[in-house]
Amino acid sequence: MASRYPFVLSGSRAFPGKSIAISTSLFLLVLAFSAGGCIREEDITLEQRAHQLAGELMCPVCEGQTIDGSNAQIAQDMRLKVRERLDAGDTNANIRDYFVVRYGEEILAAPKGSGFNLLAWIVPVVIVLGGIGIALTMINNMRKSTERSAVPTAPAEDDLSMYLEQVDKDLGVADQANQSDKAHS
Amino acid sequence: MADLGVMALLLGLALSAYSAVGSIIGEKRGMAELVVSARRALYMTTLAAAVASGALINAFVQNDFSIKYVADHSNTLMDRAFVWVAFYAGNEGSLLYILLTLSIITALSVWFAPKRLARSMPWTIAILAVIQLFYFGVLAFVASPFELLGTVPGDGRGINPLLTHPGMFSHPPLLMGGLIAITIPFAFVSGAMIAGNYGDDWIDVARVSAIISWGVLGTGMLLGAWWAYTILGWGGYWAWDPIENVALMPWLVMTAFIHSVMVQKRRGMFRMWNVALLNIAFVLAQLGMFINRGGPVVSVHSFAASTLGVIFLIFMLASLVFAFALFLWRMPEMKSDRAMESFISREASFLINNFLFLSVMAVTLWGVLFPLFSDLARDVSVSVSAPYFDRANGPVLLGIVIMMGIGPLLPWRKSSARSLKQWFMWPTLVGVLTIVVLVALGVQRPVAILAFGVVAFVATAISEEWWRGTAARHQAGDNWLLAWWRLVNGNRPRHGGYIVHISILMLGLGIIGTNFYQQRTDGALSLGESLVIDNYRIEYVGNGDESRRDRIAQWAEMSVYRIDTNDYSTEIAVARDEGLSGFTLENSEVRPNDELIAQIQPWHGFYPDFNMASVRSGIRSTIVEDLYVIPRDFLADGRISLAVSINPLAWWLWASGPFFILGTMVALWPQSSVERRSKHQKVPAAPDDNEGEL
Ligand code: HEM
Ligand code: HEM
Repeated sequence: MASRYPFVLSGSRAFPGKSIAISTSLFLLVLAFSAGGCIREEDITLEQRAHQLAGELMCPVCEGQTIDGSNAQIAQDMRLKVRERLDAGDTNANIRDYFVVRYGEEILAAPKGSGFNLLAWIVPVVIVLGGIGIALTMINNMRKSTERSAVPTAPAEDDLSMYLEQVDKDLGVADQANQSDKAHS
Repeated sequence: MADLGVMALLLGLALSAYSAVGSIIGEKRGMAELVVSARRALYMTTLAAAVASGALINAFVQNDFSIKYVADHSNTLMDRAFVWVAFYAGNEGSLLYILLTLSIITALSVWFAPKRLARSMPWTIAILAVIQLFYFGVLAFVASPFELLGTVPGDGRGINPLLTHPGMFSHPPLLMGGLIAITIPFAFVSGAMIAGNYGDDWIDVARVSAIISWGVLGTGMLLGAWWAYTILGWGGYWAWDPIENVALMPWLVMTAFIHSVMVQKRRGMFRMWNVALLNIAFVLAQLGMFINRGGPVVSVHSFAASTLGVIFLIFMLASLVFAFALFLWRMPEMKSDRAMESFISREASFLINNFLFLSVMAVTLWGVLFPLFSDLARDVSVSVSAPYFDRANGPVLLGIVIMMGIGPLLPWRKSSARSLKQWFMWPTLVGVLTIVVLVALGVQRPVAILAFGVVAFVATAISEEWWRGTAARHQAGDNWLLAWWRLVNGNRPRHGGYIVHISILMLGLGIIGTNFYQQRTDGALSLGESLVIDNYRIEYVGNGDESRRDRIAQWAEMSVYRIDTNDYSTEIAVARDEGLSGFTLENSEVRPNDELIAQIQPWHGFYPDFNMASVRSGIRSTIVEDLYVIPRDFLADGRISLAVSINPLAWWLWASGPFFILGTMVALWPQSSVERRSKHQKVPAAPDDNEGEL
């Protein structure tokens, strides 16, 4: 596309291209800078894994807290236990099972995806897909009823391009833009 | 004092009962004077609630421990500033606070209600009066804050130690106020439905009151999150705790509403839908009241826990039945003026946006209720906490942010392929480029990278629109800043909305950073020792005692150094071998490249009366990352036990707040008719202004 809006890089009045490019690079710079904090060494240490696991186990005596967040004695002991099992080479699943055997399912911060608890995970999927499905069907039905009742619709040109043309006219780049349009259509 | 308070409550009870009954009878029988009198009675309830609150606050300030509630929630040791707000630290007082807020905003909204709603006002007033009646009744008979003690104790029990924090002055009042303020749009819309006023007369009142309550609630949640971050000492800010969820759910539905009400305003569509959304939001707000006051789910945040559960459950169910009976009764009358024309249009994107918000709400509700369900269905207790909600809601939340970039770029009705290309090229390009750059930089975690790309996409979409409008005005002669300001001013609801969208993006950055890239380590230090994590060295250099009669409190003085990891390569290698992210140094001598960057003072207090600890984390914050030091405990052997984390991008969570508030205020700022006429004629209208003023 030779000219219209974003990429116009020639001519002194070709405002969007150059400046968008500048602001974009500025933005990227800021982003890259803040991303600096997110570059980490690739392998997760056992300690990170221990924290992650601790965040998935509830503290049995504190209402609604995981052992990662709690400072209760039992939470401290359980954290040590997690660490011990990790050092012994257990997998995350092993460790979760270890605690389920001792404290019951309640110890898991998120129910397992099996048996009755599968419901906990399926229902959200149904809700989301169902919701989107209903929305799309609603739009489609309304659209069809519009077609049937043949309400006179707007001119082919839509609102946005009219707006853009007006901008062009104000900027004095309208001719140029129109020409290139013609050249392409 | 107690007598005065009780009398005020009884008076308020009588006034609101009179107002409700008078308004309905007056309207039904056509007795205009009775209607007026009922309305005035409703103004007077504000006075009753104010006197009751004044009496309670005064009792706190005077240390009147003959009142049980005062003795339970304050003492003579606490900082005086907190005495003024201790009245909402517990159940009874927080109900009184809610009632006070409700009666004030009721009076204001009834006073300022537009004339054209005259026909439905009696019904609106009756609804508001009934809701006030409920609160006056509960306070007068079931949960009175003015109950007296047989023997007056020498001193009170004191305030819950977690609450003596600046957050106490902002979070509880805003959250409770925001939740109860949802009553206002609900009452106006329901009044209009009963009166058979199906048109769009209620739209402006509903929009303004909805955005106010929504903005207040949102600000309150953010402050609560900040409070949790600085004081609770678990290093997080949002735990998907039931109380947090019940604040989030109505907020999500209100967000859906303030978008879809725009469609009604501009295109005369979605009427039924908008009414339903307000109904749902109101019922969810009542659910929040119920859960927080003795509901059946466990929460760390139960300052107001009580046995009032049943009463609030009944009230919630009654609101549910009322709202939906009314809705079904009036549904046949509420038609859309127009229908959808295309999938690729702003109204279609709003509908999708609405369903996404409702999905997150429904999934959250499901997560809150699932433990009950499991208990009932098979008598096995399960927990549903953060790991569940992160996984179940995360993808949809990302979808919402994507829609936030797409929706505003779509024109109303339908769009042409050409305009789509024009508007979406840059955002898409920048989004993709961001992902490429991040991958090239070696950033880990694909999901987070995708999310960063989405944030970049949306940010570019907003900048693009601002850029074009501003540049056009700049060419017309304004300087850049003025040009931008004129652009924003020309259509405040829209550009205020964009400012809010930007605040959500900032929040998004913080959420991505802290969720995906947090690093943690634990350790215990003696004086003079250091803990090293990543490129920080934290040296324990001193401590002090701040104990008082009601607490054992200490703080530690710590120096934070930025280090060059090469200076520490041997120790780091050893730690890695042991699977540790951090390590302790006994000898804290300064190495060549160490640079002192901050002093922090983590604080730890234990309150024997409450058997409860309260901490203030030591935080060193930059826009890149927070170094966050939780003092877990001061150990008997003189060491301090620490949990240290690096929370990338956490700063952005709190920076988003001012933008959220600013954007909401800009969107709400009334447009005077003078301004409207004197708008720049030369400057092109916004893409969709050809359908009338917003
Ligand atoms: C993300 C964080 C938080 C959210 C979403 C949240 C939510 C709520 C909600 C929904 C209420 C109103 C409940 C009602 O009255 O019906 C409330 C009230 C309150 N919150 Fe929070 N909260 C948060 C964090 C905190 C923290 C960290 C503290 C203090 C340590 C706190 C202290 C209070 C107090 C004192 C009240 C008033 C008394 C009461 O009604 O319980 N909140 N909060
Ligand atoms: C958490 C997410 C979101 C928040 C907090 C939010 C908030 C807001 C607010 C407060 C407004 C101003 C409303 C008014 O003045 O009446 C607004 C406007 C707008 N929002 Fe959102 N929004 C969110 C997500 C979305 C999404 C997903 C879409 C996608 C369809 C969207 C599209 C828009 C548009 C197009 C406008 C401007 C409408 C106009 O006046 O032309 N927003 N938003």
